[in-house]
Amino acid sequence: MDSVDITLIKELEKGLPFHAQPFSLIGERVGISEDEVLDRIRHLKKTGVIRKIKARISQRKVGVTANALVAWNVHDADREKTGHLLSAFPGVTHCYERVSIPGKWEYSLYTVHHGYEKEIVTEEIRSMAKQIGIEQYIILFSTEECKRVPHVRIGFSGENL
Amino acid sequence: MNSQLPDQTDIKILDLLQDDFPLTSFPYRELAEKAGISEQEFINRSSSLQKAGILRSISPVLESETLGMNAGTLIAFHLPEERIHEIATLVNSFPEVTHNFIRDNYYSLWFTLIGKDMESLNELLVKILEVTGIPEDDVLNLISVKKYKADVRFPL
Repeated sequence: MDSVDITLIKELEKGLPFHAQPFSLIGERVGISEDEVLDRIRHLKKTGVIRKIKARISQRKVGVTANALVAWNVHDADREKTGHLLSAFPGVTHCYERVSIPGKWEYSLYTVHHGYEKEIVTEEIRSMAKQIGIEQYIILFSTEECKRVPHVRIGFSGENL
Repeated sequence: MNSQLPDQTDIKILDLLQDDFPLTSFPYRELAEKAGISEQEFINRSSSLQKAGILRSISPVLESETLGMNAGTLIAFHLPEERIHEIATLVNSFPEVTHNFIRDNYYSLWFTLIGKDMESLNELLVKILEVTGIPEDDVLNLISVKKYKADVRFPL
């Protein structure tokens, strides 16, 4: 990744313009041709810097208001297998393994779920637990979103992307 | 469209834009064909969806590990109810905080931190505890060990 790539990523982080040739416009801002913009993005994808270019949607405004974080208590030996099983459910957008805090917080696997209604999301989670055979889990519904920005940003200051 | 809810065509547009964006000279033309509308209508509607705050942006999803952001953690705070919003605002002011939610639990504020290594994350947590005055007993520091899935795509 060179300095042009960094300038290009920072420009992309501002959001693609709604213009017939968005990459041409981005190129003008960066000082390179449209072809070079496209070639560089392809290369950044190939080398694993950019995973995807896609829309970020304000989920609450389209009615996706039920957001649950679920913490699962799973035995050490089953963790890897369970992590993959949980990830396979289409309703799961994230699945992470995290350290547990013995005596205080025993959960080690975490999933994130999104849906239109709490009841439906809860029902999905219950059914997942039953299918996989996990008895101890806790559903943490969000009541308010305070901040949501892309996981990784090159231009750290771009807070409102 | 102002305060109107998105219609069927808007939903189709949002759905298409959640896929990997085409790397071509006229990407909206390609997407418009799939949506069964003209290129200009696709662009106009996308722009309106952004003005309405529904579509935030079309932007890159970067791979954290490739960029040297190798450490992440989920922090939960137990807080007196009257301090939740004040603390949430303080927490938001740190750029390393990417997600911050109030959740229905004894631990009410949940946020994610990302950094280049565990050391810098720990230093940051110490700083956040200093600024907010939260005692360590009221904190869960749930360091991430393994990522199984991270694919945000809202069912529309």
